[in-house]
Amino acid sequence: MCRYCTIVPQSVLLKLSKDTRFSDDVRQGLVNTARVDNETRKVREQARKLTRTSLAISPTLATLAPAPSVLVYDCKNTQVLPGTPVSNPAGSTDPTVKRAFETTTAVADFYQQLFGRNSIDDAGMSLLSSVHYGMNYNNAFWNGFQMTYGDGDGAIFIDFTKGDDVVCHELTHGVTQFSLQLTYSNEPGGLNESMSDVFGVMFNQWRASDGAKPPSWLVGEDVMGPQAIDKGYACLRDMAKPGANHCLAPQPDHYKQYVPGMDPHESSGIPNLAFYKIATAIGGDSWDKPGQIWYRALSGFGPSPNMKMKKFANRTRTVAAQLFPGNQAIAKAVDTGWKQVGL
Amino acid sequence: MAELKIERIGGIAGFGLPRSHLRSRGALDYDLLSDADKKKVQKLFAAGGAKDSPTMRDGFVCRITWQSDDDNRTIEVPEALVPRALTATIRDEIE
Repeated sequence: MCRYCTIVPQSVLLKLSKDTRFSDDVRQGLVNTARVDNETRKVREQARKLTRTSLAISPTLATLAPAPSVLVYDCKNTQVLPGTPVSNPAGSTDPTVKRAFETTTAVADFYQQLFGRNSIDDAGMSLLSSVHYGMNYNNAFWNGFQMTYGDGDGAIFIDFTKGDDVVCHELTHGVTQFSLQLTYSNEPGGLNESMSDVFGVMFNQWRASDGAKPPSWLVGEDVMGPQAIDKGYACLRDMAKPGANHCLAPQPDHYKQYVPGMDPHESSGIPNLAFYKIATAIGGDSWDKPGQIWYRALSGFGPSPNMKMKKFANRTRTVAAQLFPGNQAIAKAVDTGWKQVGL
Repeated sequence: MAELKIERIGGIAGFGLPRSHLRSRGALDYDLLSDADKKKVQKLFAAGGAKDSPTMRDGFVCRITWQSDDDNRTIEVPEALVPRALTATIRDEIE
C-alpha cells in the first residue's frame, strides 16, 4: 500500500484488505482507508477546483467553508494512513487525539485571527491529522494532504502532538504549499523549512502569551524525551542560536556556510536567525509586525517555487516598506537582520 | 551473503544530518528477508533508488547500502517504500 502518495486506487486498497497475509489490524485499516479516502478525495478535488476557478475569475476568493473542519484519525500504531476516523476528537479520552484536535483548531484560529487566513488553502479546507502513527515513531510530517504524528519512543522524544510548534510547523508546510509553493531542496527548501519553524515558534509564543515567561525561540522544546534532556539537549533547533550545543541538530547561522544540496533542516538556520534578529530588533510580539511582514512575503505574491534566500530577504525589505511606510526603525531592523546572516 | 544497512535521514528532527546528534540506523542479512521483500529490495536497487512525493515534508529518506564481498552499493528511497522487516531493525539514538 502507498503511505505517502496522495491517491491509492480504491480497488487496490480493497484487494489488499482481503489478503490474509496482513494482520487483522492492517486489513481493517485498509478498509477504513478506502472508505474515508474516497470521500475525502472528492472533497479535496472539489476544493481545489473551486479555489482555482475562484482565483481565475475574481480577485476575492470564494470560500469553501467559513472555518475548517478539524478531523482526527487514529493509526493505532500502524503506518496505514489516514487510519481510523475518530468520531468526536474534542471529547476523546485519548489525550493524544484530543490534543491533536485542540492544537490544530488553535493553529487555524491563529492563522484566521492574526493573518486573516481561512485554513491551509485560505478557502476553509478541512484539516486532517493522524496520530499514533507507527511504533515509537520519532517524527511528524506533512504529506501534501494531511499532518501525521508519531508517539515518540519515550526516550529521545515524546508524543509529537505535545509540541504546539510542531503542530503549527506541519500545518504551515501546507500553507506554503498553497501559497509560495517553495520546493524542498537547496535554498527554496531551507526557506520552506524556515517558514514552518518561524510560524511554529510564533504560534508557540502566541499561545503562551500570558507574559509569565519570556518568549521561547526553541523549536521542539516540548517534545524532548528524558534521554535527550539528560544529555543536555533542550530542543531540535534554536532560532536565536542555530549552532548551539543544546540543539539536537545544530545549524549554520550565516549564508557563507550554505552549501548547495544542504538538507532543508540545516539551511533553514540562516533565515531562522534572520527572523529572530528582525523580530527582536523591531520589538513587541513576533506575530505582530514581524509576523505580518513574513506572512505577506509568504502569501502575497503567488507561487515562486525556486525562490532563493536573497530574493526572499529583499521581498521582506519591500514588504516592510509597504506595510509600514516611512517607519525607518522597522526598515533598518529588517535590513540589518538579513545583513547579519549575509543576505 | 549480503548485508543490508539502513539509515533514516531527515524528518522534522533532522536525523543523520552532518551536524546532527541524532542517528537512526539498522541492518539485516539479505537472506532473512521474505521472497516478496527480496524482490522489493532488488527492484529498488535496480532503479537506483526512488524519489519521494514532491509534496512530502519532514518525511524520512532511507539510505540503504548493499554490502557483500564483491558488491557495495547505496541508494536512497522514501521510507514508505522500504520493507517493514528492514525498517523494523532501525534504532534511534543520540550520539
